Amino acid sequence: MNHPHLFASPSSTYASRRDFLRRAGSGCGLVALAAMLEQQGLLERDALAGDVRLNPMAPRPAHFLAKAKSVIWLFMNGGPSQVDTWDYKPELEKRDGQDLTGFDKNTGFFTEQVGPLMKSPFKFARQGQSGAWVSEIFPKMGEHVDRMAFLHSCYTQTNNHSPALFEINTGMSRMGFPCMGAWVTYGLGTENQNLPGFITMYDTLGRGLPKGHAQNWGAGFLPGVFQGTALNAQGAPINNLFRREGLSDAEQLAQLELLRKLNKHHPEAGEADLAARIESFELAYRMQMAAPEALDIDREPKAIRELYGIDNPKCAHFAKQVLTARRLVERGVRFVQIYSGGMENERSWDGHANIEQNHRQFAGETDIPIGALLNDLHERGLLESTLVVWNGEFGRLPIVQKGGTGRDHNPHAFTTWLAGGGVKGGVHYGATDEIGHKAVTDRVSINDLHATILHLLGIDHEKLTYRSNGRNFRLTDVAGHVVKEVVA
Amino acid sequence: MIARRVMSGLLLAWGPLAAIVPASEPTPAAIEQFEKQVRPLLAARCWKCHGDQKQQASLRLDSAAAVAAGGDSGPAVVPGDPEHSPMIQAIRYAEDPKMPPDGKLSDGEIALLTAWVKTGASWPRYSDDVQPADQVPATLPDPPPPGERDPLWALRPVADPDPPATQTTPPPKNMIDRFVQARLEQLGLAPAPAADKRTLVRRAYFDLLGLPPSLDEVAQFVNDVGEDAFARLVEKLLASPHYGERWGRHWLDVARYADSGGYETDMYFRNAWRYRDYVVKSFNDDKPYDRFVQEQIAADEIWPDDLSLDGTYVMPKSKIEHLEARIGTGLYALGTQIHESNMDGKKLDYERLTDWADTTGSVFLGLTVGCARCHDHKFDPIPQADYYRVVSTFTTTVRSEVELDFHPERYRAAQAAFDRDHAPLVDALAKFESQELPSRFAAFLAAPPKPMAPKWLIVDAANTKSDGGATFTPQSDGSYLVGGKNATNEVYTIVVQTKRQGITAVRLEALADDSLPKRGPGRAPNGNFALSNLQLWVAAAGAQGPGAPVKLTQPLATFSQESLPVASAIDDNKKSAWAVDPQVGQNQAASFEIETPVSNPQGTTLTFTLKFENNAGHNLGRFRLSLSTAAKPVGLEGDEAAERRIDEVNQALATPAAERTEAQRATLLDWYRRQDETWQKLNGAVQEHAKQTPKPELTKVMIASEGLPAIRFHTQGADFFDKTYYLRRGDLNQKVGEASSGFLQVLVRVPDGEQHWRSTPPAGSRLSLRRTGLAHWITDVDGGAGHLLARVIVNRLWQHHLGRGLVATPSDFGASGQRPSHPELLDYLAGQLIEGGWRLKDVHKLIMTSAVYMQSVGTDAPRAAADPDNILLWHRSRQRLEAEVIRDAMLAVSGQLDERMYGPGSLDETQRRRSIYFTVKRSQLVPSMMLFDAPDSLGGLGQRAATIVAPQALAMLNSALVQSSARALAHACLSAPGCTTEAAIQRAYQTGLARTADAEELADSVAFFTRAAETYKAAGKTDATEAALADFCQVLLGMNEFIYID
Repeated sequence: MNHPHLFASPSSTYASRRDFLRRAGSGCGLVALAAMLEQQGLLERDALAGDVRLNPMAPRPAHFLAKAKSVIWLFMNGGPSQVDTWDYKPELEKRDGQDLTGFDKNTGFFTEQVGPLMKSPFKFARQGQSGAWVSEIFPKMGEHVDRMAFLHSCYTQTNNHSPALFEINTGMSRMGFPCMGAWVTYGLGTENQNLPGFITMYDTLGRGLPKGHAQNWGAGFLPGVFQGTALNAQGAPINNLFRREGLSDAEQLAQLELLRKLNKHHPEAGEADLAARIESFELAYRMQMAAPEALDIDREPKAIRELYGIDNPKCAHFAKQVLTARRLVERGVRFVQIYSGGMENERSWDGHANIEQNHRQFAGETDIPIGALLNDLHERGLLESTLVVWNGEFGRLPIVQKGGTGRDHNPHAFTTWLAGGGVKGGVHYGATDEIGHKAVTDRVSINDLHATILHLLGIDHEKLTYRSNGRNFRLTDVAGHVVKEVVA
Repeated sequence: MIARRVMSGLLLAWGPLAAIVPASEPTPAAIEQFEKQVRPLLAARCWKCHGDQKQQASLRLDSAAAVAAGGDSGPAVVPGDPEHSPMIQAIRYAEDPKMPPDGKLSDGEIALLTAWVKTGASWPRYSDDVQPADQVPATLPDPPPPGERDPLWALRPVADPDPPATQTTPPPKNMIDRFVQARLEQLGLAPAPAADKRTLVRRAYFDLLGLPPSLDEVAQFVNDVGEDAFARLVEKLLASPHYGERWGRHWLDVARYADSGGYETDMYFRNAWRYRDYVVKSFNDDKPYDRFVQEQIAADEIWPDDLSLDGTYVMPKSKIEHLEARIGTGLYALGTQIHESNMDGKKLDYERLTDWADTTGSVFLGLTVGCARCHDHKFDPIPQADYYRVVSTFTTTVRSEVELDFHPERYRAAQAAFDRDHAPLVDALAKFESQELPSRFAAFLAAPPKPMAPKWLIVDAANTKSDGGATFTPQSDGSYLVGGKNATNEVYTIVVQTKRQGITAVRLEALADDSLPKRGPGRAPNGNFALSNLQLWVAAAGAQGPGAPVKLTQPLATFSQESLPVASAIDDNKKSAWAVDPQVGQNQAASFEIETPVSNPQGTTLTFTLKFENNAGHNLGRFRLSLSTAAKPVGLEGDEAAERRIDEVNQALATPAAERTEAQRATLLDWYRRQDETWQKLNGAVQEHAKQTPKPELTKVMIASEGLPAIRFHTQGADFFDKTYYLRRGDLNQKVGEASSGFLQVLVRVPDGEQHWRSTPPAGSRLSLRRTGLAHWITDVDGGAGHLLARVIVNRLWQHHLGRGLVATPSDFGASGQRPSHPELLDYLAGQLIEGGWRLKDVHKLIMTSAVYMQSVGTDAPRAAADPDNILLWHRSRQRLEAEVIRDAMLAVSGQLDERMYGPGSLDETQRRRSIYFTVKRSQLVPSMMLFDAPDSLGGLGQRAATIVAPQALAMLNSALVQSSARALAHACLSAPGCTTEAAIQRAYQTGLARTADAEELADSVAFFTRAAETYKAAGKTDATEAALADFCQVLLGMNEFIYID
């Protein structure tokens, strides 16, 4: 059967309002009307310009030239401890067991379980040319420190999971604001129209979703198109992705053919919305094939699968997601976010009870796959255009949480590393105090972090705005400085 | 001063940081550094002791004046000279006092403050440093000359415009048309012709009901040739209960309706759906809009009816309405709720208050009040002070759950009937006890019986202990009610002293109690318990320690849960247990024989340990222990009447009659009568009837009110704070005076000012009546905000009918929103609403019977090019159905819709009720709704997006809903009598699109069907015809025309 229209690339025939106005000027005597309406303040100042509204996912140019085209955000859910991972503190070892004078017991979550300073249970060693200190729990990631830029002085405003998750994802500790992935796809669209532009993956071992659930990848007041598509842990990875059993490809194509014909009879089929909707069916049809292909990691050669650790029962679940992320960015998906760990306590990096056991476990689940990802992206030449981000929603205290050997939440300091996508490798920016309790030098707020990531994507964070409820909103609200020191 | 600043701000649109102090003006860079670094540092490390709460050493460091004034030992700072500034010396920790005492500042922080002092310790001053309390009311400036934009148009009174005369055809159907057509005429434009009847009927059904018309309903309208057929149709639809479901949903959008609080725990608001039902019902009842608004703000205050019925069993209708109105305050209660437990309580409370102030502003007045939390509103004449005064109105209001009896008359009547029937039974028993019982008792005592030995003897504990922090309260029946902490795992230790010899068995009763979850007997949320181990230790009385464990055998129970048998309580497996689900809420018991009967001449100490380690929190809630000395097999059953007081009875019997005390005689009488058959019968009748004691029909409702217990979440500390403070830049650390409750000054147009609406609560009232004032001000058309209120709601109606509001920003009527496209028409409609007693149905009818509404979708390219947004209303704008309506329409055309209204919602996407009955769980929004742009319910939404994305098309291709609807539609079309392929396809067209297919469409459809049917037949499908038609119906449901309504 011949269905040329189904496989044509997305047409660009939709008329935006601006096009309408432009054409109005050429053809008829009503041009004055448009001008008059505009002058009277009646033409809607569309939050979404016409072309974005009608083809919201079409790729759009950035504000300026930049290397990063896509983002893989590795989110260590629950809050990894900076002093046990990337922020080596010999002084903490010396002061092990001493009380931390002046400590505000409301810093962490358990105000009645404030113990003395506790040294890291892990050994640290220098890695790479840059000689970065790396915890023994990250042997594979440690091989890539010369590709990483470390922001040691990140901090958040709140000390508990969901507000901190909201803050690091949306810039606001309250619910209801668009997350970074939504802002980025709103700003840049996405390269592959047959796949969602923004995909999130959460724990597949049944340990739960990050606190606040889908709000973490929500679009807030941005149109719903821009929210993250969370791949389902069970069943079809994307809702309604598979044809019903018994319906063949040919039959579905016949349906689409009929749909196209019948839609034509509807008056004014040329109207932009209706044309866009006809197009959306053809996209959906293609997505049925493109998405399963993109998500099918069985197509990867054995060597690659082994590299990521898919045969290693300890990290297989995360390895599959990381490898999927690589396949997605390779196919033009703009933004991918993966959560390591589920809800809280022992189900995530939230090591309240026993930091050694907790972090050994979650490092064990993630180190090999992330090391492999950086290798693999590099070898494919994708690291240049892919920004990899690693962090959690906050850090952990240098003191022990009484009653165990764990650490409580610490909003004052945590480490983020960036790699690829125009990042300067082997750089350390900002510092915590000598025991890693608070970020003191060159502090990096979440707004700063967001501004920096947007900058690496070629977006001026002050210009990426959306009008809602009478106000222009930004991901960075009214703040944010780009940390230029980590930009190559 | 505030007012002056507001006015100039309006003209110049300058930002919040403009300073008014000309001398020693800090540079912008210095201001920025001060605000970003110095002030936050002072706030974080100094103000706790040197701020508005405490002034150690009489020193405050929270304003320029205070710093200059210094404290007990003089000025803290010498501007320009850090070396001689005591504050700098203190923070360097060089000598005492060392400040701050709880830890030295970092070097960077010390350097920052040193530099600040060195450069003059300048402290920017703002106009809003002024205490807002002494401001003069803001007044509106005069409107600009005609032809110029008036950013404050919405705040001016509604004009009473004369509808302009028009010349063109079609002639105007009502006043609306004259306003619209006059505008078009000025530009030489003609409106689009009227739509045909099939288009109109479909438009009207979707518009008013959110459902498609049935075949019959289409035919009925098409065949109605009467002049006013459409007006009658509109009236019929407005009377349909589905109208409330459709328009109630529009309201729920702006009300940010949800069934849970969001955030970390996203706890359910179990009764929020009653607010949804209240809204639906209010629309259906055509409740006057001003009343609807008042109810939501302050029904609990304005109509504080109690349930007293003044001696009548008839519940006045008004009283029921007042109780129902209280549900309206749910508007506030169902806002988001943060549970984070040790966050700053005040901060949480300000989040709540901000939500409530925002909601009030945007829902009712179309004003974005919330912006003024941090600064004077940049574009609207809303000073920060107004924001905090609105907030203050709600400060002491809490989210509460109350039980309302909407039918106390039924309870009263039932109670009276019960009393009537109960009294004779009680009388009969009393008569027997006074007249016959004494002689029978005397006869009984004359031939005294032998002492009794009941099978089971209830025993009291000498000592009780809980490992998990539970408490044991002895009850009069010898049982123990467990309270206190319900630990994950528990061990109860019960010590009993007895002089009984030859103890052969023990019994553990697990008793129901009203205070337990599901009446118990366990403490788990489902009323269950799980006894993982019961052990008995025996020692001679007076011996040290619990002694030795004895072996228990022959476990028996009244009931054992499947796979959790009573034998598990005495096996060696610590994790197996005895439990009783689903027979919770009733008494249960278990008995165990002791392998070697226990005797000790001097008495015995029995130590029971009850372990609950099988399931978290599955501990026993009420229990009673008994011993038996009966011969084995002992068995479980017993005679409760005799058990409790048997020792007392035996003692009394052993006492010579003359020496018996009054208490002993009473004991014997009670013991005797329980054996008397007549007494048993009479008493049984009383007890049996008492079980039917009526209870009020209480309905749990979530409301917002004052002086009631707040719904507690995982928060700590106070539920609210008594006072609201003005905060600089919305920062809790920067209080500048207390805010009193008030309204938006710019909309106060009466000589006596705000007093006009204030009421004083009666002495001792739990209510402050602050919200009453707000409710009266906001609906007052003479001197308050009533005109704006009316404009905002008629604009919302217009928007949903025509696709675009006369003001295109429905929740922003402020200066940053859109101007009205037809200001006179907006005022005309607002005036009509107010004059008509705020009845929304009249406005619906007015709009829908205009020629403007009845136009067809235009095809005129030049006009479409010039005015693509149809601002001038030159034709009908095609509208995409909302998520709920798309789903409801599919269920309706396929005959699957379950039309039951009201009641609790569900998250089950396969349910068949209308989509308004989906539960809105904020962290778990229904995917099929979100796909088509349903709101996220975090803040109010005045206008939904209508996106077009591939996942929507995926749903139309593959979702279960579309497939089942297509199948059901196909089945129905084939079931019609005399059905040919053509007829079935036409019936599908008519059902789905309210029209027949034209020749070309029919030909295409038939060709598709024929090919599909052949394919299915060739594949051996027995239902090939229906399957093929279902494939066609699915295409029909996917057509643009199905969800884009002309």
